[in-house]
Amino acid sequence: MFNKFTVEARAAVGDAVEIARDLGATSVEAEHLLLAVSRGSDPTARVLADAGLDFDGLCAALVAETTRSLAAVGVTADVMHFTPFTERPKLATSAKLALERALRAAIADDDKRLTARHLVLGTLRATTGTVPRALDCAGVDRAELISALSA
Amino acid sequence: MIDVTSPADPADGLAAVVALRRLAEQLEAAEVERAMREGWSWPEVAEALGITRQAVHKKHAKRLIAAGVELRRR
Repeated sequence: MFNKFTVEARAAVGDAVEIARDLGATSVEAEHLLLAVSRGSDPTARVLADAGLDFDGLCAALVAETTRSLAAVGVTADVMHFTPFTERPKLATSAKLALERALRAAIADDDKRLTARHLVLGTLRATTGTVPRALDCAGVDRAELISALSA
Repeated sequence: MIDVTSPADPADGLAAVVALRRLAEQLEAAEVERAMREGWSWPEVAEALGITRQAVHKKHAKRLIAAGVELRRR
């Protein structure tokens, strides 16, 4: 399946692993795929940036999502500082789901290659979970962003 | 005291579970590192966490060695 990825899409999956590790995560989640595309060289990054979702904007949205979710149960927490794990984080369910949806988006486009744009669509098609909640925190309309990416 | 209240919307409650799990992971990473830097032994950290020495060592030793933390053998 991975040999049908474009260079940019394959690079994004690899970078997502690095981002997850740098953020101290023990697994690669859908949001790490999105972060990877946002700082990659694919033109899709510009569409994300136009919606306010450049790498820093996305990071801020994810922090806001965490703060909001913890606040919902009355918890506040500072940012933790620690040495990241050295092991390569594995793809978690949210990332696998995003890849599945990306593949479906590529098939729907009748595209023989899975592009970075398909990866982003794969993460954006989740209706629940961290990514849609973070977009909500950033005031980004998910449906509008999907349309902008499909144009 | 942490006042854990039940959110009105299950979407918020479920997202809180995800955020709390992540927070617990990060807190463990930060506190194990702090304890080891302060000279705690693996068995002490393991017992404080309620897990085996092997488990805490397997999970945290590599990154602490990479960070140059001086680790006590026992």
